[in-house]
Amino acid sequence: MAFFDIKGLVTPFTALKQFGKAPHTVTYPYNKKETAERYRGLHFNDLEQCIGCGNCSTICMNEAIDMINIDGINGDKGDSGLRPRVDNGRCCWCALCVEVCPTGSLNLTKDYIYVTPDADSFLWTPGVSNPEGKDNISFYSDVDTSLSMFNRVPMPELDGKERIKSFAETMLYYTEEAAREEANRCISCGLCTEVCPDHMHIPEYINAIANAEDEDAIRIIYDNNPLGELCGKVCTRRCEDVCAMQVRGDAVAIRWLKEYAVGRAETADMLREIVNPDIQEPNGKKVGIIGAGPSGLTAAYYLALKGFDVTIYESNSYAGGMTMYGIPKYRLPMDSLNKQIDYMKSIGVKIEFNTHVGKDISFDDIYNQYDAVFVGIGFQKPYNMGIEGEDAIGAIPAVGLLFDVNNGKTPDVGNKVIVIGGGNVAIDGARVSRRLGAEVTIMYRRRVKDMPADWEEIEGAEHEGVEIMPQTIPVEIIKDENNKVKAIKYLRAEMVADDKGGRPRPVPIEGSETIMECTTVIGAIGQEADYSFLPEEYRNKIEINRGRMVVNDDMQTADSKIFAGGDAVNRTADAISAIADGFKAVKSIEKFLLK
Amino acid sequence: MTDNNLHKEQQIVDHLIGTFQNLSGKVKREKRVEVSIEKKQISSVLNYVKDHLGFVHFSHMSCVDWIEDGYFELVYILWSPKQKVQLLVKALVDRENPSVENVDMIWRQVNTYQREIREMYGIDFSGMKGAQDFILEDWDEIPPMRRDFITDEYVKEVYFERPGREDAKDVRETLVKRSGEEIPDFAKKYSRD
Amino acid sequence: MMREKATTLYLGPQHPGITGNMMIKLKVEGDTVVKAETHVGYLHRGFEKLMERRNWLQSFTIVCRICVPEPDPNELNYSRAVEEIEGREVPERAQWIRTLMMELSRLASYLLWFGGQNGSAGLYTMPQWTVGDRDYILDLFEELTGGRVYHMYIWPGGVRRDLPEGFASRVLQTMDYLEKRLLQYDQLMFDNTVFQKRAQGIGWIDPAKAIEWGVVGPPLRGAGIKSDVRIDDPYLVYDKLDFEVPTQSGSDVWSRSLVRRAEFQQSINMVRQIIDKMPEGPVYNKIPNPMKWNIPAGDAYVKSESARGEFGYYVVSDGGNKPRRVHVKGPAYVHGVTLLENILQGANISDVSFIMNSLGTCPPEIER
Repeated sequence: MAFFDIKGLVTPFTALKQFGKAPHTVTYPYNKKETAERYRGLHFNDLEQCIGCGNCSTICMNEAIDMINIDGINGDKGDSGLRPRVDNGRCCWCALCVEVCPTGSLNLTKDYIYVTPDADSFLWTPGVSNPEGKDNISFYSDVDTSLSMFNRVPMPELDGKERIKSFAETMLYYTEEAAREEANRCISCGLCTEVCPDHMHIPEYINAIANAEDEDAIRIIYDNNPLGELCGKVCTRRCEDVCAMQVRGDAVAIRWLKEYAVGRAETADMLREIVNPDIQEPNGKKVGIIGAGPSGLTAAYYLALKGFDVTIYESNSYAGGMTMYGIPKYRLPMDSLNKQIDYMKSIGVKIEFNTHVGKDISFDDIYNQYDAVFVGIGFQKPYNMGIEGEDAIGAIPAVGLLFDVNNGKTPDVGNKVIVIGGGNVAIDGARVSRRLGAEVTIMYRRRVKDMPADWEEIEGAEHEGVEIMPQTIPVEIIKDENNKVKAIKYLRAEMVADDKGGRPRPVPIEGSETIMECTTVIGAIGQEADYSFLPEEYRNKIEINRGRMVVNDDMQTADSKIFAGGDAVNRTADAISAIADGFKAVKSIEKFLLK
Repeated sequence: MTDNNLHKEQQIVDHLIGTFQNLSGKVKREKRVEVSIEKKQISSVLNYVKDHLGFVHFSHMSCVDWIEDGYFELVYILWSPKQKVQLLVKALVDRENPSVENVDMIWRQVNTYQREIREMYGIDFSGMKGAQDFILEDWDEIPPMRRDFITDEYVKEVYFERPGREDAKDVRETLVKRSGEEIPDFAKKYSRD
Repeated sequence: MMREKATTLYLGPQHPGITGNMMIKLKVEGDTVVKAETHVGYLHRGFEKLMERRNWLQSFTIVCRICVPEPDPNELNYSRAVEEIEGREVPERAQWIRTLMMELSRLASYLLWFGGQNGSAGLYTMPQWTVGDRDYILDLFEELTGGRVYHMYIWPGGVRRDLPEGFASRVLQTMDYLEKRLLQYDQLMFDNTVFQKRAQGIGWIDPAKAIEWGVVGPPLRGAGIKSDVRIDDPYLVYDKLDFEVPTQSGSDVWSRSLVRRAEFQQSINMVRQIIDKMPEGPVYNKIPNPMKWNIPAGDAYVKSESARGEFGYYVVSDGGNKPRRVHVKGPAYVHGVTLLENILQGANISDVSFIMNSLGTCPPEIER
């Protein structure tokens, strides 16, 4: 190229034609540019939706988020009460906290301007510092894009039509791989531990399973629950109702993971080896326990570990209480329960079977022989159905049927069974009757969604061909000449809204009487405790309110030597509450006897 | 990309195994080959692959601290523009008194990589010239990329926390206090950190 | 005759001619540089050490900050390395979107480079134009990812979100605009005799020794050697795109500028092809719970072609949920230290920053 390249010297001057043009990236007069739809600006948190799980704080790689108390927000079941606060000096607006928020309450807005002369005001509480941010949300994470794992690993079960041919266990439970995958879903927030009556250490044992440390998981479970496999099969799982994952997806399968963990120890000896508890020296105190149900067994186990001399008096031939005699074997097989009870016997718990207190041995003897007594008798006596003709042959209480079946008998229920009631006992009675070869119909006063039974049980019953008739009120059992059940008369009901805002009530429809033929009628409308074992003087001393024994916070009755727990004491009446009562009583008994 | 056509990669590995003692190697996938050698062979292997096998482009040199096993692993990454194959040469150096020969006469730019590794890990490259400091200035702690240098503790010693965040609470502890749960000590390591 | 004494001058760390923060200690005799020494360390943030304490997902938010003009190759390389060690498949559409991000990022980086190269020569009109035009590309990024400069969009398993409505047409509009502007850049810079005279013959690298000295990227192509990671070791969907790799034989600043200008045009074509050919499908292969995500033991070295050359990431995993070692190698690691020290010998003092810019030196990636 020649040095004096005129063209090359002159062309650059064409740039001068830009001289008069208006600026193109900034408009005059100044108009704030429209921020993009997905802009990552300052945080906004919906304080009502947030459950305070702290997952945002854990994932933040700058450690910019703290969980703090906020005035006016008190934690409750399923909400820790803490809310996130962002340190804007450290935040890099990567929005990972938004991606892992399980409820979707934390989002980013379009605001990015934060100017203040105060150099120390860099702490920003989303939702409180910008309540108007709700209208400005730009970066959010919905169920598809969120990094939380919302879908539970499915649990295989036996086919509905096949499984009624036997009492084999319906649920096939998790394999090792499935359990690890399911355990990986947990975010370890701990909201579940608060609502568990026994306060089991749930995030800890789930993380142990996720890390393939199943033995540690068993030890953590046994720290405050000696019937882990039982709970794993039949617990009411209140923990899963507040799991952080269930807000937008499926709860972590806390119960089934418990079953998996304790199920890894296949025999009582293996349990003993793995748990390897620290049994203290005998301290010379003796404790007598009435009833080998979950509350009695739990109290016995932990008292024996602390060096007490424990004996349980059980009127039946097997231990377990309602869990042995009330829960059918297809939900809780014998070997599983026996394994857990054998392990307890191996550490020194003594059980006297077939010993009915009040008949074979008097309560007075026990009271005088032992330094403390724990009463865990449960609700074994069923209520009467309260309809005409219930004295017929073939009109039986559900607990009676379940008791017989679990004892190994095969009662003849005929080919058509009507079950009255809507709780777990009713469903159990229905499904057992199916396995005994009958067609079954459940009659319940209210609607299906009002039934207090576990939804899993209702679904299982429906898969097995049980018919459920809601809004049905039986009025009379019709007998034949031999006083056997022939048919049942019932009314249909309609739901009438309650003026006071409570549940709608069923009101019988006039003239809707129908008669259905049947061979057996099973009543399952509730149970009460049988206090006949208690002599008069004790019954006057102990306060019994509406059928339940009254205890103080230490599980003590009015007589300080008598402790009580289980169904006969608490209002929730499930296995885990009974176990929790037994566990609490141990601490109090220890305090009472060894102070 | 056909998987079964790893002929030229396998040839390279076999050739090197045949030429040097105590050398193990494998083909990782297409265009990726890896060999492990002893530290005294570094200079001869690198010279050989550069002059005879066409690995003229020096991509990268790195060091990994395997503190549990007691050695550093030096990794030299080379590329052959003609054959289009990437070669990783790995050598282990003892963690106590780490010392390796200097190879910056083979490729000039290796000097920079070695300076950084000397500063960050404390490995001595015998005979290397070049200024001591590369990135850090007036540093008198242990070489910082070593695993026993804990950044957390250093930061707490040297810098002060900006006040204002003392009221941070832990979610699990709040729940434990409210419900009266007692977590046993052996289980605490499974709680969320 | 008295011998001139050499003076020591410190160019940087705060100097408008330096692209970033580094210091070059020059020993000059009169107007000519006799010896140059690079001193880095002003931008050391210790990323690699930080990543040892953060798990795999948290680390991806840090890597984009390693290089300012072009953060995307970092995210891409990190994700590719993790995917290679774990064996994770990335959906097809995600690969195409990643390629689109890379090419847009290349355009943005070149625009910034046009500005820097001319700024160091004194032609300040170019930086004003190109930084304004780069804003259009940043607007596109803002719409797609939510952030303008640091995107944090490409993560292991795919990309974070799908393209918004109407995005493709806006990209094509921007490409048309940039193509028109390229002609105006030609008139101002490439057809400008003053610039040509200034740039020819300066900063010469010996082509025979270029590969051995570790030269990569446009300087290598300016020396006549056709070498580009996108065709030598194809990644993403570059094997499905139709593009050329331009070379020049002069091996000086002028050749490198021509190479970059040709690549600018190629990138615009590639963006158009990508928009045209992108398939439908999912954009993300979800990772498990991030706090418990373990990668099996292994290591991988992945490289990609950024606007300045070969960008490499060496990632080592020991089977846990945190990386064992992440070692980043930017193209400026070689260009900014040994190469620069070498070719500055004998250069005129006013050409120092000119040559630095032509090599594409970016101090943050030297010291991370």
